[in-house]
Amino acid sequence: MMLLAGTVPLKDLPLIAGEVRAEQGFLVADGHRIPCTQGTGAMISAALAVTDYLKLDRPRIVIAGDVGQGEGSRSIYEYLIQRMPELSAKVLTLHYCLPDMALTKRLCEVVVSCEEKPVMIADAASMYAAKAAGLASRFDIFTPDATELAFLADPEATHPAYIARHLFDTDITQGPRLIDSAYEQNDAARLLLVKGAVDYVVRAGNIVDIINEPDVPALEAIGGTGDTITGLVSAFVYADLELHEAAIIAARVNRMAGKLAQATPATRIRHIIEEFPAVMSEYLCVWSGVCYMSDAKGGGTSD
Amino acid sequence: MKDLKRKKKASFEGGGLVIFREVQEAMKAEKVLKGADYKVKLVAPPPQLRKGCDLALEVNLVEQLGLERLFKEKDIEYVDITPLKLETSELLNIVKVTDFGDWVMVKAGNMKITFDKNDGMIVNTSGGGCPDIPHLHAEMIGKKLTEAPRPRDIGFTLCALMLDRALEEGIDIWQGGRQS
Repeated sequence: MMLLAGTVPLKDLPLIAGEVRAEQGFLVADGHRIPCTQGTGAMISAALAVTDYLKLDRPRIVIAGDVGQGEGSRSIYEYLIQRMPELSAKVLTLHYCLPDMALTKRLCEVVVSCEEKPVMIADAASMYAAKAAGLASRFDIFTPDATELAFLADPEATHPAYIARHLFDTDITQGPRLIDSAYEQNDAARLLLVKGAVDYVVRAGNIVDIINEPDVPALEAIGGTGDTITGLVSAFVYADLELHEAAIIAARVNRMAGKLAQATPATRIRHIIEEFPAVMSEYLCVWSGVCYMSDAKGGGTSD
Repeated sequence: MKDLKRKKKASFEGGGLVIFREVQEAMKAEKVLKGADYKVKLVAPPPQLRKGCDLALEVNLVEQLGLERLFKEKDIEYVDITPLKLETSELLNIVKVTDFGDWVMVKAGNMKITFDKNDGMIVNTSGGGCPDIPHLHAEMIGKKLTEAPRPRDIGFTLCALMLDRALEEGIDIWQGGRQS
């Protein structure tokens, strides 16, 4: 099972744990319609696009409404802390949640006790909490953007708003230096997918690939383009690609979808997501070797 | 047999500190914040910030914006909200501007706002990771810079504070023609 967890901007939405599907530009879960916009909605939508294309089991979600006051975030953490061992998740992705170091620590302790430890992926404020709590190395994948990479590289910062100015000023071309710092301080996950004008895929501190084509600068301005990368990489890991392969393909798919959508800074994220099936149809086999889809849900995906 | 295990007290690590001049004010703040469902803990300030037998409140630093607003509403006087680690840098106060031709993107910390040069309409917000950011995204897009709700008024977190700074700079650029 791929388990995707995060808050959505619907104030009174209760905790929902279960199935999700895409329908007419929305996500539908437990009878609720969730907008496919920046944040957890975009992340889930991207993962769904991959699982539907590859005919894999759809992700299961743990979401709750939260517009910044933290109740929904805490209910998600508490649910995961209580239920992770019985859920037997293969992949666990943590996304938009109010950072809570104590709850993150408890969750990491529970995950270690699972019969099989899931691949742990964190983005957004879940990544902030993991780093601030000194737990980054417990995670398998982080997906920071350039500023968030500077945050990982700043040993004292507990949020990207408090990074040292000289690190904020650093250009993304200085990424390798920041990557070195983050790993030296043990503030990086096993694999980093750094999202930006140049995407870096980093395994245990070593840059294994740099992706900069196609170059679609407008993607940086579009809310949700980082979230879709997190959803894509989660789904490709679930499809049994190696972590670094999943990261490389995720970055390529996102860029190519931006190109096909003829993205401008005014483009909405749903228009990028709509292009994912076409991108995978055209390029996935060439890029990844995933050329055959089993008819059986949850079956093999690669030849 | 009755289970005599004590319920484990929930731990709290907030990473932020509110400094007060008066002990009484710290206690009042604790009551107000707990009443509003914030997690807080009364602690001694670090030696560098102590004046005597004073008290500070440990808070979740990420919630800085919501805390500041509540203190203002309840007339609670405080000296500062600061990271618990004294070595931490100050709150970022610089912005970067990218010209996309018809659009301008303003970046403050981890937050970006993009608007149309012709009519000042917000076309996108991006970056960040706190739960109020997707809400602000939905509330601000499609509105003019000067008419959009302010993140500092309806947001709660440091991400929202950074987005407010980006919006402020965007308004300056839009109104002052700083964009060449």
